Amino acid sequence: MLFVAAWSLATFGGYVPKTFLADPLTMLREGWDLLVKFGFLYDIGMTVWRVLGGFVLAAVIAVPLGLLMGAYKPIEAFLEPFVSFARYLPASAFIPLLILWAGIGELQKLLIIFIGSVFQIILMITVTVGNTRRDLVEAAYTLGASDRGIIARVLLPSSAPDIAEVLRLVLGWAWTYVIVAELIGSSSGIGHMITDSQALLNTGQIIFGIIIIGLIGLISDFLFKAFNAWLFPWKLA
Amino acid sequence: MTTLVIDQVTRIFPARQGHAPTRALEPVALTIGNNDFVTILGPSGCGKSTLLRIVAGLDHPTSGKVLLDGSEVEGPGADRGMVFQSYTLFPWLTVRENIAFGLRERGVPEDKRNAVADRFIQQIGLTGFENHWPKQLSGGMQQRCAIARALANDPKILLLDEPFGALDNQTRVLMQEMLLGIWERDQKSVLFVTHDIEEAIFLGSRVLVMSARPGRIKADIKIDLPHPRSYKIKTSPEFVALKERLVEEIRAEALKVAAEA
Repeated sequence: MLFVAAWSLATFGGYVPKTFLADPLTMLREGWDLLVKFGFLYDIGMTVWRVLGGFVLAAVIAVPLGLLMGAYKPIEAFLEPFVSFARYLPASAFIPLLILWAGIGELQKLLIIFIGSVFQIILMITVTVGNTRRDLVEAAYTLGASDRGIIARVLLPSSAPDIAEVLRLVLGWAWTYVIVAELIGSSSGIGHMITDSQALLNTGQIIFGIIIIGLIGLISDFLFKAFNAWLFPWKLA
Repeated sequence: MTTLVIDQVTRIFPARQGHAPTRALEPVALTIGNNDFVTILGPSGCGKSTLLRIVAGLDHPTSGKVLLDGSEVEGPGADRGMVFQSYTLFPWLTVRENIAFGLRERGVPEDKRNAVADRFIQQIGLTGFENHWPKQLSGGMQQRCAIARALANDPKILLLDEPFGALDNQTRVLMQEMLLGIWERDQKSVLFVTHDIEEAIFLGSRVLVMSARPGRIKADIKIDLPHPRSYKIKTSPEFVALKERLVEEIRAEALKVAAEA
């Protein structure tokens, strides 16, 4: 509320020229035009699909790998240095390279999100799994569990809520990568719309785009939380 | 009938950062069988838990070996059930699923393992709590459940590491009676570690007193109190005499620990 009030004061009061910052009402009108006239819904859909695609791809590879690294020290010792190094490579810096390799199609967008997410997920899950309560693992061993049984029926279920939390967090970061990917060499998506609007000096549209990103993030976060609560009733009991 | 042989087991924890290596266990030799309820009594830090963990296969002796019915213990297994002092029920499983965990690991079909679990749930008085999560249970209930989980596997020997240590006194006494009741009915070899003298006498058919670190068996006392025992036995002259004797034994060890510190 305070934010909107300050924004209104700055724009309606004429303290900031319209070219630099549109007022809230203009923003809403421009947003409506975007949705109705310029097929912005299609852009939103493209962006959502890229985020989810790249993110799911990363999760499918990173979760099992993180689980193995957390469970087996030798595997962790073998892979950890590389993953830690790779984690610091900024995903956006790969954009030029990926454009060379994969063109400016969908694959390139997915790969950026994948690179940005996969190493983070691996490392965070390794730590989570490594922190599994030792006495639970020992109890399972004395009950006759095999190594595989320990992974499938102790390490995985005990870290599952934290794994879900890691995924929720990284999904948020994936949103940043997708917009960056779309700002460069793209013909659709929210990020593309924002660059177009910049060329036209239409700050209303830019702000509308940013707010839409925030809203989608909020919704996905909420869904993720609700899904986790439903999935792990024992955590809340 | 099961025989557990602890054959000259020692345990030395390797040196760490300039400290000398810790000798946790002097050669310990011990034979347990006869469906005995053996309680190991000792001051804290005397290595009694280390001994139990070695029997469970969760730790390895530096020298010597542990034999269960003639075969050497090399790691943890379902033939030795263990109950820990900390609450180790799997929080993501219900009471019934927890008790059936070992059976599931061995591939027992669901209806069969549920039948076994329900029988134990009744035995430990948790009927009506089958589908509760561990978080929803009191400490005493959780430990009862943990005992049932170990027993559901039908182990050759049951190992308990101060299972009632974290419980309040009243609950503790009730738990002792329940455990004794199960043992009197099922007849199973039990190795029970505690630092509570009354608990050791009340439960045990044999009390082993361990010395202060490095731990060794200092006394091996047969408890001839009749079964079934009720809490009333704790005020009988025989019980009191045993208690006096053990208080002296333990006190000597505790003083040694205090002198070192």
